[in-house]
Amino acid sequence: MKEFDIEKLERKNIYKVPDHLFENIQNNVMNEVKANKKAPVFKLNWMYAAAASLALIFGATYVFNSDNDQSKDVLNSKTLAVNNHQPKTESERAYETLEADLTSVENNNQTGSNQGTKTVSYTPKKDVENRTAPQPVKAVGKKEEIKMNEYLDSFSNSEISELASNSTQDVYLDLYN
Amino acid sequence: MKIKDAEIISLMQNPRTQEKGVRALMDAYQSRLYWHIRRIIVDGDLAQDTLQETFIKAYQNFHQFKNDSQLYTWLYRIATNEALQQVNKLKKMQKTDEDPEYYMQNLVADNTEGDAEEIQKLLQNAIQSLPEKQKLVFMMRYYDDLPYEEISKIVDMSVGTLKTNYHYAKQKIEEYIKENYER
Repeated sequence: MKEFDIEKLERKNIYKVPDHLFENIQNNVMNEVKANKKAPVFKLNWMYAAAASLALIFGATYVFNSDNDQSKDVLNSKTLAVNNHQPKTESERAYETLEADLTSVENNNQTGSNQGTKTVSYTPKKDVENRTAPQPVKAVGKKEEIKMNEYLDSFSNSEISELASNSTQDVYLDLYN
Repeated sequence: MKIKDAEIISLMQNPRTQEKGVRALMDAYQSRLYWHIRRIIVDGDLAQDTLQETFIKAYQNFHQFKNDSQLYTWLYRIATNEALQQVNKLKKMQKTDEDPEYYMQNLVADNTEGDAEEIQKLLQNAIQSLPEKQKLVFMMRYYDDLPYEEISKIVDMSVGTLKTNYHYAKQKIEEYIKENYER
């Protein structure tokens, strides 16, 4: 061939094309599009992500610190409670029991205040006040005993027997004498 | 009735009408894009897969489309990139001792209609013998009649370079046909 001008040649597509080519392509593409729509990919803006991370960090730090403070407070209060409630000595416990018994005796009018006698006028208030001081039980007991003896000595035998017949015996009182 | 680009763009930009937009886009451009891809790849099945991928990518990345370029220019760019990727994969898979030009010409022979004219077959073989850039420029200018300015946007080359490439491509093809044509 001597002369040939490509511009004069007809533009043709000579390749084989399968049946329903574009129909198949459209169906496949639309299926993919629908699948993409059903499961959208969430793209997080980096600024929002950074802000959320910071908020999380500060929030977690705040919560963690406040928990620590609370636990410290609890611990302190527990420590205080422990310090305030030191184990009582046996003598203190005995003193408290005795005080309670005396109070119950007063409440039951065992002091004889309703009898109009000298004994009635005697209420060992001083003793009670003295007992509030954390003193050894034995010391208090001796003092009381001395006072009691003094008062008893001031009574005549007839007065004592009269008093004894009008009062009821506190069975528990013997335990601490 | 042929739908205009502005209408397709409007449908694609609205999430509610996006599916309708994809259909309109395919109806408008499937034939032109298919033949553009087919001339680069030659293999029919691979060309079909590549066109599908082109439309899916266009749908997924439509937010990146800017109205300062033509819709078909943007679509051609995606299709060209997808097609070139497939060709490169094919070349990597072929035997190392096989000539790529010979491989492509065999592919042309296998894919051509039985009643195709001899000169048309020669033209396709001549196109496959061209370097990649000259091949692309020639096909877009000769078959699709695209302006140089638009081709420039598709392949990222200056208009001057494109004109030179087209001139050399045309010259090589004519020589190839003159040498190989037998009456």
